[in-house]
Amino acid sequence: MAAVATCGTGVGSTGSMVAATSKNNVTSFQRKGPRASGTDSGCSRLVSIAGTRPSVRNGQLLVSTGLPALDQLLGGGLAVGTVLLIEEDKYNIYSSLLFKYFLAEGIINGHTLLVASAKEDPADILQELPAPLLDDNYKKDFDEDVCNHQTPDSNIKMKIAWRYQLLPKIESGPVSSSRFGHYYDASKRMPQELIEASKWHGFFFPEKLSSTLNIEPCSLTHGYRKLLQFIQKVIYEEGFDGSNPQKKQKNILRIGIQNLGSTLWGDDICCTENCDNSHSLTKFLYVLRGLLRTSLSACIITMPTHLIQNKAIIARVTNLSDTVVGLESFIGSERETNPLYKDYHGLIHIRQIPRLNNLIYDVSDVKDLAFKLKRKLFTIERLHLPPDLSDTVSRSSKQDLAESSKLLGPGCGMMAGGKQHLDF
Amino acid sequence: MESVLALGGLVLLRDSVEWEGRSLLKALIKKAALCGEQVHILGCEVSEDEFREGFDSSINSRLIYHDLFRDPLSWSQTGEALPGGPLGALQAMCRRTDPGPFTIALDSLSWLLLHLPCTALCQALCALSHQHSRPGGSCLAEPVRVLGLLHEELHGPGPLGALSSLAQTEVTLSGAMGQASAHILSRRPRQRPALQTQWFSILPDFSLDLQGGPLLESQPHPDPHTAPVDPTAHVTFNLHLSKKEREAKDSLTLPFQFSSEKQQALLRPGPGQATSHIFYEPDAYDDLDQDDPDDDLDV
Repeated sequence: MAAVATCGTGVGSTGSMVAATSKNNVTSFQRKGPRASGTDSGCSRLVSIAGTRPSVRNGQLLVSTGLPALDQLLGGGLAVGTVLLIEEDKYNIYSSLLFKYFLAEGIINGHTLLVASAKEDPADILQELPAPLLDDNYKKDFDEDVCNHQTPDSNIKMKIAWRYQLLPKIESGPVSSSRFGHYYDASKRMPQELIEASKWHGFFFPEKLSSTLNIEPCSLTHGYRKLLQFIQKVIYEEGFDGSNPQKKQKNILRIGIQNLGSTLWGDDICCTENCDNSHSLTKFLYVLRGLLRTSLSACIITMPTHLIQNKAIIARVTNLSDTVVGLESFIGSERETNPLYKDYHGLIHIRQIPRLNNLIYDVSDVKDLAFKLKRKLFTIERLHLPPDLSDTVSRSSKQDLAESSKLLGPGCGMMAGGKQHLDF
Repeated sequence: MESVLALGGLVLLRDSVEWEGRSLLKALIKKAALCGEQVHILGCEVSEDEFREGFDSSINSRLIYHDLFRDPLSWSQTGEALPGGPLGALQAMCRRTDPGPFTIALDSLSWLLLHLPCTALCQALCALSHQHSRPGGSCLAEPVRVLGLLHEELHGPGPLGALSSLAQTEVTLSGAMGQASAHILSRRPRQRPALQTQWFSILPDFSLDLQGGPLLESQPHPDPHTAPVDPTAHVTFNLHLSKKEREAKDSLTLPFQFSSEKQQALLRPGPGQATSHIFYEPDAYDDLDQDDPDDDLDV
């Protein structure tokens, strides 16, 4: 990875002492630390860029995705140089919200943005970014939210079962000194001066199309090719890949690509099952990942996978991306009326987490996660079963719960897994 | 039904063989024309005369008809046919520059989908719906409406899904007992989609008559025989505490909860005892041998 690789040049070379004629050192081994010679600006030092932090597990440089709850599930954040693929929900409400959180986080941290879309003008997307929540305002609202939920009885319950208070909870509120991830108010817009102060590049595909729409199926990679050229140009000119050594301050490029794979990009994988250029999307992802790995950038892509007709393409796309998160909203489905899901707006599936310089995955043990969009917050919580009522309740509701509990993973307790309920 | 025309963007009218949608399309066109808007019609499936029949002359004068039915492949070369074929006609509508509310009716979108590649059609539709938002940077408030008639049974799930994701409003026609109904799914940006069902009928002069549902309600009602059960009745423990009981419960200290007084009481010996005493009563089987059994070991 570009950013935090320890300086391998010195260690790897087995040059003799004679060969090492660098100014300060006697040997060719270089020590990692502030005393190292400044010949290589990219390595041998942990780069301190605003809005990033090294991972506590493997030292990988991480950026926040804009949602601290999602950061926690991905192992601290999104690694620089990787792709976060979001499988859109059916009406593209929550996935576009996550997209905007990512971009808003970039503006707050002072990163450069690159927004690509075939449907909306990037300037319009930037106008709709959510406003950041300042800490003291947020604490007030969060406290009153918590008070509304807690009744006096719940304090009594925990008095006897005091051991449960020691269980780790998924963080759903603001960490006091959250410099890394910020909270956003989805009902307010980001202030105009912050947007204007930020640096951003926009790619709106209909503008780049030639004026005459040619009907012949020439190159379905036309839209993708143009986008890749644009990204490469920005990375090169702005020096994110280290090609411009006069750069005074290193910065991260946040790339956001909306609705990749939809018909508006010129790709017909959403229309037919056997398409001519079924590999154009996978080629695009491959080249994009190559560009990202050699530069200080992180990318978020939203893809309407529910429209892709060929399931093999979805599997290939998942393999070619680093982190894959799927959103499934309950709007319009029969789960909306299911009592199990009544507090939530949808399910979130962490489909893939990358192994970066690692042999093991960093997955959490919680597989059943649900999200809800409260007035100002997007929270991700573990899905809990409601308490099993006594057997004077009518049987049908118990059967519903038993049916839906089959969908849950083993983390939710085995008691509700069976169809028969034990009566004592 | 008003919301169908109020929102701009693409409106998909999905019909089927049993419940045809062309009459609804004509009713919506008539409504738009009566509001004083310009209506452009791209006719592909029926001839112009057949389409215009049923409209009175005032409405007919406001309709601008682009005829693709007579000569779709431009064979006649007399200059009557539209240049560029159907896609050229769509693009010509994209480049329209005069202001004012504007409605385009596509009759039918199925024909266009069968004759054009899906991606080109989607891109043209997107350009049509959004063209009024950014002509040279200024933002006009007038919505552009594109009404597209789509025959559901002709297409697979792929193109239907692709067009649904582009549409602002989807009206699916169905019905029961001889009455037509429209399931309207409207997606406002950044809001949850709203689904409503509207029963209607179209009068011979193509005006829309909104109605309530058919007489027989076939919706499932909750079963009235099972009364809602109170789970807190017939329980073997006491769920309701009186005030005295509640006070006694609150003041009880639990064995694992160490308050500081309890800790001090355990650590410090009480006032009555100087040392601790063990009271032991040996019974018959006890062997009171004072030797240390470990002496046998040679350690």
